[in-house]
Amino acid sequence: MSEQADFKREMLTPVPVVGPESPAIKEKIRRWPTIWPKTLTLSEGNLFLLLAVIIGMFSGLAVVCFRITIEWIRLGLLGSSLAPPAIRTLLAPAGAGLVVAFLVHRFFPGARGSGVNQTKATVYVFDGYVPFRTVIGKFLTCALAIGSGQSLGPEDPSLQMGAGIASLLGRRLKLSRDKLRLLAPVGAAAGLAAAFNAPISAVLFVIEEIIGTWSAGALGAIVLAAVSSTVVMRWFLGSEPLFRVPQYTLAHPAELLAYAVLGVVGGLLSLAFIKIIAYFRPRLRALPGWTQYLQPAVAGLLIGLIGLRLPQTMGAGYSYVDQALHNQYAWEMLAILGFAKILTTSLSFVSSTPGGMFAPTLFIGATIGGAVGALEHHFFPQLSASVGPFALVGIGTFFAGFLRVPITSVFMVVETTGNYSIVLPVMISNAIAYLISRKYQDVALFDLLARQDDLELPSMEEQREQVALRVEDAMRKPLSPPLQAGDTLALALEISDSFQEDLLLVRFQTGRWAGILKEDLHKLAAEHPPDTLLREILPTNRLPVLHPDQRLDDALRLIPGHDLLPVVSRAGPRKLEGVLSLPDILDAYHRAT
Amino acid sequence: MATAPTNIALRYTQRRVLLLSLFPLGLLFVITVTLARTYHVREAELARQWLQQGNADMAAAQPAKALEDFRNALSYDPVNNLIQLRLAEALLADGRLPEANSYLLNLWDRTPGSGEINLDLAHVAARTGDEDQAIRYFREAIFGSWETAPAQQREKTRLELCNFLLDHNRLDDARRELAGLAAEIPPEEGALHDLTGRLFLKAGDSARAFTEFEAALRSNPNQSQWLDDAGGAAYDLGDYQKAETYLAQANRENHSVPTQQMLETVRALLRADPYLSGLSDEEQMRRSWLAFEQGLVRLRTCTESVGKQPTTDSPSELQVLAKNAEDLKGRVNLQSLSKQPEMRNDAMRLVFRIEAETSSVCGAPSGADQALLRIGKKHEGSDR
Repeated sequence: MSEQADFKREMLTPVPVVGPESPAIKEKIRRWPTIWPKTLTLSEGNLFLLLAVIIGMFSGLAVVCFRITIEWIRLGLLGSSLAPPAIRTLLAPAGAGLVVAFLVHRFFPGARGSGVNQTKATVYVFDGYVPFRTVIGKFLTCALAIGSGQSLGPEDPSLQMGAGIASLLGRRLKLSRDKLRLLAPVGAAAGLAAAFNAPISAVLFVIEEIIGTWSAGALGAIVLAAVSSTVVMRWFLGSEPLFRVPQYTLAHPAELLAYAVLGVVGGLLSLAFIKIIAYFRPRLRALPGWTQYLQPAVAGLLIGLIGLRLPQTMGAGYSYVDQALHNQYAWEMLAILGFAKILTTSLSFVSSTPGGMFAPTLFIGATIGGAVGALEHHFFPQLSASVGPFALVGIGTFFAGFLRVPITSVFMVVETTGNYSIVLPVMISNAIAYLISRKYQDVALFDLLARQDDLELPSMEEQREQVALRVEDAMRKPLSPPLQAGDTLALALEISDSFQEDLLLVRFQTGRWAGILKEDLHKLAAEHPPDTLLREILPTNRLPVLHPDQRLDDALRLIPGHDLLPVVSRAGPRKLEGVLSLPDILDAYHRAT
Repeated sequence: MATAPTNIALRYTQRRVLLLSLFPLGLLFVITVTLARTYHVREAELARQWLQQGNADMAAAQPAKALEDFRNALSYDPVNNLIQLRLAEALLADGRLPEANSYLLNLWDRTPGSGEINLDLAHVAARTGDEDQAIRYFREAIFGSWETAPAQQREKTRLELCNFLLDHNRLDDARRELAGLAAEIPPEEGALHDLTGRLFLKAGDSARAFTEFEAALRSNPNQSQWLDDAGGAAYDLGDYQKAETYLAQANRENHSVPTQQMLETVRALLRADPYLSGLSDEEQMRRSWLAFEQGLVRLRTCTESVGKQPTTDSPSELQVLAKNAEDLKGRVNLQSLSKQPEMRNDAMRLVFRIEAETSSVCGAPSGADQALLRIGKKHEGSDR
C-alpha cells in the first residue's frame, strides 16, 4: 500500500524543470524498468485470480486442440463411418496400442493412467510440479489411444493437462510451494470443464475428489479458470450441451420407484466394474516388463474383435450415448452394449493405456439405464414413461457408483444435458448407487488405484466421513462457580476457599472473561483492602472464549499460554457452559482413537 | 514501510512472465483457430456427404442403410435439425417407430410449428394406432410452416388427413376437412378438384362431390374421367339429365363398358320416370301405367322365387304388397290414370314399395326395375 502511495505521489509531483534534460525525468527513465511493473496495481490475490483466467484460457485452447486431434486421428485410422471397416477395426487399436506403449515407456512415463490420481499426486506429493513433458505425452498418447478406438475418454487426461499447464505457468512465475500446490487443482478444473463443457461439475469434481475442502482461497480461482476454459472451448466447439435429450416431466411420484430400482442395478454393476479393475490391474502390472509394451496392443486387438460386432463400444462413444438417450436400441441391445463397454474399458484401462474413465462411465450408465428403463416399461408401463430419461439417469447413477463423487454426479447430468427437470430421479438413483458401492467396496476407485501404485494419497471420501471432535466432546463442568468482576476481594477469597479449583474464572459485565490462580488471589488480598473490587486489581489481559460446537482443533490452537478456557453459550457470552484445559483436549483425542 | 528488494524483483518477474505468457497464448490461439477451422470444414463436408448418401439410400427404398448414413452425418453435425429429421424419417420407414418418435419429439420441442415434423409425428401416431394424436399432428402440420412449396404441402397433408379420417370412419370430420380443402383449391387445379370430389363421395356427400367434379371440368371440359365422375355423382344425386349429359360425353371421349352401362341405366330412367318435368299429361299417364305393369311383374316373379325358399318374415310383407296390388289392379287402368292424377300417385307409390321390398328380398334388380327403384328413391326422398 505504502509502495503504491509513494509511487503515485512521485508520479503526481510537478516536475520543476521540463524537458529531456531534466534531472527528474532522467531519474525516472533510469528507474523505469523497476517502476513499470508497479503500474499493474495488482495485489497477490488479484494476481492469482488473473493467473487463473490465463490458465483457463490456455487449458481451454489445449483441450480444443486435444479433442480435434482425437477426431483427426479417428478419421485417419478408422474412417468417417461410425461402423468402420473390419480391417481398420482390428488393426487400428492394436497398432496404436503398440505405439502408445512405446511412447509411454520410452518418453512419457508420467502420461500413464487416467490423470485424476496423477493430478492428486501433483498436489500432495510433488508440490504442484508437473513436468511439461507429461502434458505433451498425455496429449499425444491419449489422442492416439482414444482416436484409434481404445475404450477411453478425453476428460481425465484434459484434467491432468490443465494441471500441467497451470504448474508450468506457476513455476515460470516463481510462485511459492503453497501457491503452486493450489494451482494444480485450478488447472485441473479448467481442463475438465473444457473437456466436459460443464464448468459446475468440473469445479465440484475438483473439490470433491482432489482438494477435498471448500477453501475460499482456491474456490475463486478454480471457478474463474473453469469458466474461462469453458468460454474458450465453446467459442471453438459450440455451446450445445454434450447430450441432447427430450424434455422430461415426472408424471407420477410412483415413477421414482422405478428409478430406485435403477439405482440398485447401477450400484451393483459399478461395484462389479471396480472389482474387475481392482483384480486385473495389479496382476497385469506384475507381469514381466517387456509385456508392458504389448499389453495395450493386445487390449486393442481384443477391443477390435469386439468392435467388429459392436463398433459402438470403441472410443469415447458420445454418439452412442446420444442414441441411447433417444431410445434407439432395444433393451437387449442396450444391456449387451453396457456389458461389452465394461469389458472393453476394463481391457483398455488395466493394460495401462493412457486415457480417461469418464466417457466410458457415461456410456455404460446410459446403456444400462436404458436397458433397465425398457425392461421396467415392459413389465410396469405405469411406472415409466419412456426409456430416454432412464438412460439419462443411468449416466449419473453409474458415475456416482463407480467414481464415488455423488454431488458431481448429480450436477454432471444436469449440466451435460441442460435438463433440470430430471434432477429428482437422478438424486434418488445416484444416492442408492453410491451407498451400495460404498457398502461393498471400502475404498473408492481412485484411492484404490493410488494404493496399487504405492501412493498414499489422501482419500477425500474418508476425509469427508471423518467425525470432527468438538469442544463439547472435551469440556467439563467447572468445579467452582465463576467469580464476578464486581465481587470484593473478601467475597472472592471466601468463594475460592470453598472449592478445590486452583484456577478461578472471573466474569465481566461485558461478557469478557479473565482467569486468576487461587494463590495469586491470596497475594492480592495481602496487598489490597478486602473491599477492593476484583475488576480494579485484575490484570488487563482477557481469556479467549470457546463455544461448545467449535472444532477441538480450534481450541488446541487457542489454548497455549492458558491453563483453562471458558466455554460459553453462543446465546450469551456471560453464560458459562463448561471449561476446557489442555489435558481435557488430549484426553478427548485419546478417547477418540 | 519499505518493500524488500527481493520481493520487488519477484513481483517484477511475475508480472513480466504474466505479460510474456500472452505471446504463447496468442500462438496457441492461432494454432487452435487453424486446427478448428480445418476440422469444422471437414466435419461439414462429411456431414453433407453422409446426408446425400442417406437421401440416395432413402430414394432407393433402403431405409436401414439410410439410417446408418444419417447417423454418421449426425455424428459430424449433431445439432442439424434436417439430419435429425431425415434420420427420424428413415427410422419411420424402417418401422422403428419408438426410435423415430423419440427423435421427432426432440425436434418438435425445438420447432413445434414445423409442418414436416408434425406430419412425421402424425405418421408415427397413425401407425401406432393413436387416432386422436395423429389427427392433432396432421392439423398442426397443415397449419405449420413448410420450407418448400408450402401451399402444395398443406394440400397434400390435408388430403392425407382426409383419407385417414375416411379410413377410420370419421365421416363428419372428413367432410369438414374436405370442405376446408375445397375452399383453397385454385380453379385451375382440376385434378385436385376431382380428387376432392371422389373423397366427398367416400364421405357420403354427393352434392359437394358433384360441385367439385364440375369445378374440375371447368378447367378441362373434355377430361373423360372427370366427366365420368361428374356423371356418377349426378346419378347419385338423382339428376339424371345431367348424368346423361356427362356420361354420354365421357363415353364419347373415352368409351368404356362401365360408363356405357351406367349411361344405359340413366337413359332407361329418363325414359321411365313419370315425374320428369316437361312431360305431357298423356306421357306421364303412359309411363305410370308401364311402371305399374312392370312392378306387378317384379312382384310376381319375386313372390314365386321366395315361395320356393320359404322364410318366416319376408313373404308376409310381399303378401301385403300382393294384396295391395290386387286391390289397386282393379281400379288402375289407362282411363282412371288419365282422369284421376291421384290414382297415378297411388300406383307409383305401390311400385316404389314393390321395387324396394323385392330388391331387399330377391336381390338387386336390373334394367327397368333398377330404373324404377332409382326413381322411387329419388321421389320418396324428395317427398320426405
